[in-house]
Amino acid sequence: MAQAIQNIIIVGGGTAGWLTAGILAAEHNADNGKLSPSPKLNITLIESPDVPTIGVGEGTWPSMRTTLKNIGISETEFLLSCDASFKQGSRFINWTHAQKANGNSAEHYLHPFSLPIGTNELDLCPHWLAHREQVSFADAVGQQNQLSQLSLAPKQITTGEYQFQNNYGYHLNAGKFSQLLQQHCTEKLGVTHIQDHVTAIHKNDSGDISHLSTKQSGELSADFFVDCTGVKSLILGEQLNVPFICQKSVLFNDSALAVQVPYPSADTEIASCTHSTAQSNGWIWDIGLPTRRGVGHVYSSSHTDQAQAEQQLVEYLKPTVNIDVDNLEIRKLSIAPGHRQVCWKNNCMAVGMASGFIEPLEASALALVEWSANTLAQQLPANRQVMDIVSARVNKRFNQHWQQIIEFLKLHYVLSKRSDSDYWHDHRESCSIPESLQQQLKLWRTQAPSKHDIQHTDALFPAASFQFVLYGMGFQTLLPSQLKPSLQNRAQQLFTENIKRTQGLQQLLPTNRELLAKIAQYGLPKI
Amino acid sequence: MNKPVLLNSVDHKDLKIITERSEKYGDNLWYTVTFPAEFRSVQAHYPIFFQKDTNTGQFYSIAMFGFQHKENLFLQDGKWQAAYIPLTVRRQPFLIGQQTVQEDGVEQIQRVIHLDPNHPRINEDQGEPLFFPYGGNTPYLDEVGDMLETIHHGLIDSKNFIDTLIKLELLESFTLDIELDNGEKHQMIGFYTINEETLAALPAETLAQLHQQGYLNAIYMTLASQSNIRQLLNFKNAQ
Repeated sequence: MAQAIQNIIIVGGGTAGWLTAGILAAEHNADNGKLSPSPKLNITLIESPDVPTIGVGEGTWPSMRTTLKNIGISETEFLLSCDASFKQGSRFINWTHAQKANGNSAEHYLHPFSLPIGTNELDLCPHWLAHREQVSFADAVGQQNQLSQLSLAPKQITTGEYQFQNNYGYHLNAGKFSQLLQQHCTEKLGVTHIQDHVTAIHKNDSGDISHLSTKQSGELSADFFVDCTGVKSLILGEQLNVPFICQKSVLFNDSALAVQVPYPSADTEIASCTHSTAQSNGWIWDIGLPTRRGVGHVYSSSHTDQAQAEQQLVEYLKPTVNIDVDNLEIRKLSIAPGHRQVCWKNNCMAVGMASGFIEPLEASALALVEWSANTLAQQLPANRQVMDIVSARVNKRFNQHWQQIIEFLKLHYVLSKRSDSDYWHDHRESCSIPESLQQQLKLWRTQAPSKHDIQHTDALFPAASFQFVLYGMGFQTLLPSQLKPSLQNRAQQLFTENIKRTQGLQQLLPTNRELLAKIAQYGLPKI
Repeated sequence: MNKPVLLNSVDHKDLKIITERSEKYGDNLWYTVTFPAEFRSVQAHYPIFFQKDTNTGQFYSIAMFGFQHKENLFLQDGKWQAAYIPLTVRRQPFLIGQQTVQEDGVEQIQRVIHLDPNHPRINEDQGEPLFFPYGGNTPYLDEVGDMLETIHHGLIDSKNFIDTLIKLELLESFTLDIELDNGEKHQMIGFYTINEETLAALPAETLAQLHQQGYLNAIYMTLASQSNIRQLLNFKNAQ
């Protein structure tokens, strides 16, 4: 009889490792967050005490709410222990045109997390096109562009844990997040935690990973291994020789400078979305936690050097901090933009940076970790004999996800009209634009993106995301030749309802800081 | 509301409190806060539900008097048509306050009576006096003091009760849809009640524990109180 998959070893801690452990344990070993008396899987996470985690990924998608809820973590506990705040989308600043030195105001648009109003009923985008001169797409179909500019929270103190008025993910302290996950996984979900150095990884005759050698814990064998070793990709890349597909020819950014800065005062508002401000050779992220901001400059080392990138980062910070910007502790990170050819080979799946990484423009890193871990948890094959059937289709989806991420990120650059550097010109060179994106763009000149442009149902980015970016950046689509009057009427009703909702929520919602203070005092209600 | 002041027999010696029930004295309440210690009396007349405090998100229990803001269906012809009026209504215009006192050199927190100085019930002509002309509390004022003490302890117990309900997942939200005889429809959202299925499935030892705390009683009082919605509807239809 075929041997069941029972013993799983996750190599590497960090957010990817602990999220995978939590999601696997919640799916197979727990019910409603409570450990089953006879857990199905033995889950072990081994991490080296000597290897520091990257700990930058500080933005999540709304999917993280579901993930945390499924793992059984209280949202109040999560928010307070991870210095987390609410993220309602990404605001792109100066992406279409560079801001002139004479100080004209910055142009910006929001890619919000809430889907357009009425999404389940009809697609408002074609109906909005006729009004594009009067109202932005984001303001016509949603509330978050307005609300996030007021630093308002997506919910009230009476809104139960993980529920919302407007869809949200989080900004968080990645180091503290790993700690919370570790504590929860080991104390509540029965995950075994080994702190030891893996000295060798062994394969059996069939090419599967058989066991690990460790410095102090002897040999550790398992039926399945999860590679969360970061960019080193020790198992999938090094042992199983899965090639790395470099995407630098499409997305040039390969370096980042990261820094943490304090708020000028304790009552400075906490931003409700990630700010992404375009620079001459990259862009700057700005993430507001309750305790500090995390800011970083992502750039292309082929187009600029570290000194200039650092100078631009400092210039960006100057107006918003009251500290000495010349003595900041700036960390340099290198990014190899790209992904492995497959994420699952033999009896090993890579999760997180071990399977690939790209610039954090749409904060897709943790979302992909969640997808990978959920996929593994939900599709875990019963035994080795049927594993290749599952891994083949998971790998297919993995590649579809990467293709979509790359094309969606590239879209932000392709639509730019900036001409202040070779960087932006190079981004618009057709040789750097994937063929399928070029075709889509041709199509979108005649019709707005719709669900038919999306390859499959569980795609990471829905058609609405493409709409928000295209029309946020002033893309011109022909007006539809015909719209049914009945649908037009309904669209008008929805536009009006959206205005009312925006005004209503503006009165109702507290600021992020006000809500977080109340949560610290009272906690969010469980229901 | 104005800032409450500490009640004292000097500034307030001539004050009287109107105890009549009327809209002009602020009795046009949709609902009021209640607590398990008075559930037995409350459930005889009013539906008991749970609601979240908009300021803190914390649950409290309420006795319901109407179907919408400022509607108290028990207020009829200048009278409150029920034998029992919840204490958080009867206490008006008094509130419980705290003050720090030095007792044998040790700082102690003492509960004291506060007064909402601009409450329409307060005057010097009619109603219940607070102090006797030559000093001393009137029985009415002593009763107010007892009432505030009961409320104080009742609310502490209520928090414990509701925390227990939440922990056992016994609270569920519900939408109350009512249709009047004239065809008018009302929908009330934001209220919570006991989930009877979860209650029925509780293991014996949990029930025993609830019983020891007195909470099993309170849970069933809450469930029984729901039949009073019928009475509210009758009042409403009779309008």
